[in-house]
Amino acid sequence: MAKKTYDLLFKLLLIGDSGVGKTCILFRFSDNHFTTTFISTIGIDFKIKTVELRGKKIKLQIWDTAGQERFHTITTSYYRGAMGIMLVYDITNEKTFDDIVKWLRNIDEHANEDVEKMILGNKCDMEEKRVVSKDRGEAIAREHGIRFMETSAKANINIDRAFSELAEAILDKTAGRDADADHARIAVERRPSRAPPARACCS
Amino acid sequence: MNYEETKSVVQEKFLSSERVTAFLCDAKVLHPEWVKKDRLLCIVEYGDEKAVFCLFTSSYPPKSFTDLSIEIVLPIDNTFKCEIDNKPSDPEAVLYLNLQSRNNKFKFEIQMTPRVDNFVDDLFRGIEAVSKVPTQPEFVWLKKYHGKDEDDIITQFSVIPRSGVAHAQNSAPVAIRESLIKRKMYDKELEYTFTKKFTVFCGTWNVNDKSPVIPLEGWLSVDREPPDIYAVGFQELDLSKETFLFDQTFREDEWYNAVINYVDRRAKYVKLEKVRLVGMLLIVLIKQKYISHVRNVVCDTVGTGIMGKMGNKGGVSIRFDLHNTSMCFVNSHLAAHVEEYERRNQDFRDICNRTRFLQPNQQAKAIKDHDQIYWIGDLNYRITDLDPNTVKQLIKDNNFEKILEWDQLKQQHKNNNVFAGYTEGPITFKPTYKYDPGTDNWDSSEKNRAPAWCDRIFWKGEAISQLAYRSHPALNISDHKPVSATFSSSIKVIDEEKYRKVYEDVIKQLDKLENELIPQVKVDLTEIDFGTVKYLELQVRTITIKNIGKLPVEFEFIKKLDETSFCKEWLIVEPYKKCICADESCEIQLKVLINKTSACKINAGTDKLYDILVLHLYGGKDIFITVTGTYQRSCFGCSIEVLVNLNKPIKDVPVGKLIELENKRDQCVSNQSTYSIPKEIWFLVDHIYLHGLKEPNLFEQPGLHSEVLQIRDWLDSGSVDPIPGSIHSVAEALLLLLESTADPIIPYNLQSICLKASANYLQCKQIVMELPEFRKNVFLYLCEFLQEALQHSAENGLDAKTLSTLFGEIFLRDNPNQIQEPQSRINKQVIDKKKAQFVHHFLVNDHSDLIFTR
Repeated sequence: MAKKTYDLLFKLLLIGDSGVGKTCILFRFSDNHFTTTFISTIGIDFKIKTVELRGKKIKLQIWDTAGQERFHTITTSYYRGAMGIMLVYDITNEKTFDDIVKWLRNIDEHANEDVEKMILGNKCDMEEKRVVSKDRGEAIAREHGIRFMETSAKANINIDRAFSELAEAILDKTAGRDADADHARIAVERRPSRAPPARACCS
Repeated sequence: MNYEETKSVVQEKFLSSERVTAFLCDAKVLHPEWVKKDRLLCIVEYGDEKAVFCLFTSSYPPKSFTDLSIEIVLPIDNTFKCEIDNKPSDPEAVLYLNLQSRNNKFKFEIQMTPRVDNFVDDLFRGIEAVSKVPTQPEFVWLKKYHGKDEDDIITQFSVIPRSGVAHAQNSAPVAIRESLIKRKMYDKELEYTFTKKFTVFCGTWNVNDKSPVIPLEGWLSVDREPPDIYAVGFQELDLSKETFLFDQTFREDEWYNAVINYVDRRAKYVKLEKVRLVGMLLIVLIKQKYISHVRNVVCDTVGTGIMGKMGNKGGVSIRFDLHNTSMCFVNSHLAAHVEEYERRNQDFRDICNRTRFLQPNQQAKAIKDHDQIYWIGDLNYRITDLDPNTVKQLIKDNNFEKILEWDQLKQQHKNNNVFAGYTEGPITFKPTYKYDPGTDNWDSSEKNRAPAWCDRIFWKGEAISQLAYRSHPALNISDHKPVSATFSSSIKVIDEEKYRKVYEDVIKQLDKLENELIPQVKVDLTEIDFGTVKYLELQVRTITIKNIGKLPVEFEFIKKLDETSFCKEWLIVEPYKKCICADESCEIQLKVLINKTSACKINAGTDKLYDILVLHLYGGKDIFITVTGTYQRSCFGCSIEVLVNLNKPIKDVPVGKLIELENKRDQCVSNQSTYSIPKEIWFLVDHIYLHGLKEPNLFEQPGLHSEVLQIRDWLDSGSVDPIPGSIHSVAEALLLLLESTADPIIPYNLQSICLKASANYLQCKQIVMELPEFRKNVFLYLCEFLQEALQHSAENGLDAKTLSTLFGEIFLRDNPNQIQEPQSRINKQVIDKKKAQFVHHFLVNDHSDLIFTR
């Protein structure tokens, strides 16, 4: 059955403190797989997954970043070009929640201005160890006008939903532009030009 | 900033595969609407292709590639022209460069410098190379430097940063993926379809230029149940010259309306398509309730008549998809005449080869690319080698089998010369040709032709069974009788729910495949601690990168954003770029060497032994590799002003204190300082003075590296043991120490004055008088010592000339950061001579007056 289709490519980025479960979220989403062994991500990795939204096939390229403090300066340089950012904290770890503000500031400084954001409170299956209430997560999201969801990569709660909602938000933004323009936008990543305009009036 | 440094900044603007082969600073563009100045011209080479770029720089000279923006791109192709004029008012100093490429012309004003020759040479080499190549270069690589509009060459385009998110996997092969999905879905068709029987009615009639003056229900409406699909074909609809020449006929509508009128009235039909070529008409109708399941209706016509092209013979076809089954109907009129069966075979092949169904965004389909094919028509094959009267007699006896043995089509079909792979049902009806029109009598003309089954129906495809194959002799207006066949055909119908599931599985599989093909490596160490690192002592660590993916992987250590090099200057990574095959490994050596430049920076606290390397896999991830170490501070690489303030071995001085002293070295004054010269210099000089003045080849024979390192440790730790090593090693350590000081003994800014004054001892003395205090002390102290050494020239073989050359280089060190034209060999010799001359004065003259002025 040959439906008229074209692919859109959305780039998403997972950021947040080390150990909040970014890689697990990505694995659950892409491979429907979960492992309890913790291996710290030392760098930037990605996986792809195709989803269908409103009849459109959308390829998500999801970048997983190293959360460790010492890599922050480097990882911020990967923000540019991302169309959506998932900001992850761990509901059983107060500090990872407190750092959300820091990550938001990072996004403001380094990401595209129109990037779609979403806050995820991960590990919501570990109710007995919870230290950050859902209300606090919702409050900070509301304060910054961002979507929010509690997730569990382990129990597979809200993982697919989170990604489709983020992708849908990006789709809403790109609606109105045609697919070709979208492809062009992805293919050519222009740096903000710091040089003055070349065409200048000569006295 | 010198030429090479500027060049490397310009190179940064381009990809590493795009090499800047020549460039000119200080160019002006002469364009009525533009600011003239601050342009750079460069020639960039990519493979065999070259182009001239004009760059605008926001700071002059450019400090970083972000200062540059590409303004003009002129590919050097066969349209490229270059003309050079002198500026009439200033012919010696200024050139005009007229460059033209494609339809763009630009004039540049260039300052006449020796570089211009290089640039112009390179330009003409490029033009010459293009003229020798037979094929024109394509300049695909330039596309990214153009704007959307190819002709709009003025763009502000910056190169995509080489690291990071933006780089990877942008060009997802969407098209390949699409066809892969299609292919996979086709393979799994059985999983999401079920079959449903459709009845297909096929009818063919050569109407011999007649109008439909009789009812047709005896042909079209004879089955028990109304068929689901009608495919009705006519031949010789109109034999007029006009139709043949202009392909226009009113008969098309006449016969079409007749068909519409006489199809089975028990069901409602709609037209799918009709197609006509001269006298051949094919009409396909379908029950209205199925029309929504039909897609991609396309038709085509092929003429095989006169000259193999005209439409008096040939075939017309209609294809479409019903549910998930592709169907094709062909109505053909093949070459006439009894003996021409080879020609008919050829017509069949031509129709097969030349029929092309074009669909938007899809590869054209041929007849054979369909699940079900129904081929009808006046195929014109005859009965050979049987006497017409015998044939007629056999027909009378109803002995068709006997005659069919001599049927050309049966014979050719059996031998696979025509309709290979097709099936025809058993013929149980009388030949359909040739009758006297209006009767059931055989042709009574003089020709006395043998009757023949000209009008036939074939099919090809799975799950088709013929229900009927018959002629309709009552319709007698033509010299042919109409023929029809009905089929029960299995059509694959999609189960939407199952389809979705299979489709999702396919997508999932492809995603999985794509994820598996992302390059993957395993790096055995991502944190490398070099431990204690000492001055000038090389340390090596090895890491292993193993390709654990399925494809070869290319890695490269890439620059972090806004950095000019992928690692710190004290680190060497070998190899920094390589391709590793699947399951193979590559060892990478990381070498740390602290030389004077990096020692100075570390001592001053502007650098430390810490770096994060970004190991990038092309098309894949980035891995961060952290390199650390602890630098053991040494007197090498310290400032003289710092050393004179250290009253204990440097090893015992806290790092923070050292950094503080380095940063305050300009405020260092004599009355607060511990020594008048660094004790380390004194130790080394004193040792040579006491033990080595008579040593042959003093300062000329190199020491042992290992001993120099021991002496370094001895100086840094303040050992009470005697200085280790030979005199030559001590002498070398002294030279290395003097060379490594953060600032040279004669400050950089005084160097040119010294060189100018070098012939005049009094002036030289004057300069030395004005040196910063501790440097003056060191200078005079060393000169005194060297004078002493020269006293023993008989033994140590030294002469003033050698020593002044050696120490001239040390006292008057060149500033590594200064912008200067690269020195020619001759020029360098002159400067070196002057440096030696300057020092020479102080080795042969008594300058004790200077010492006592203190």
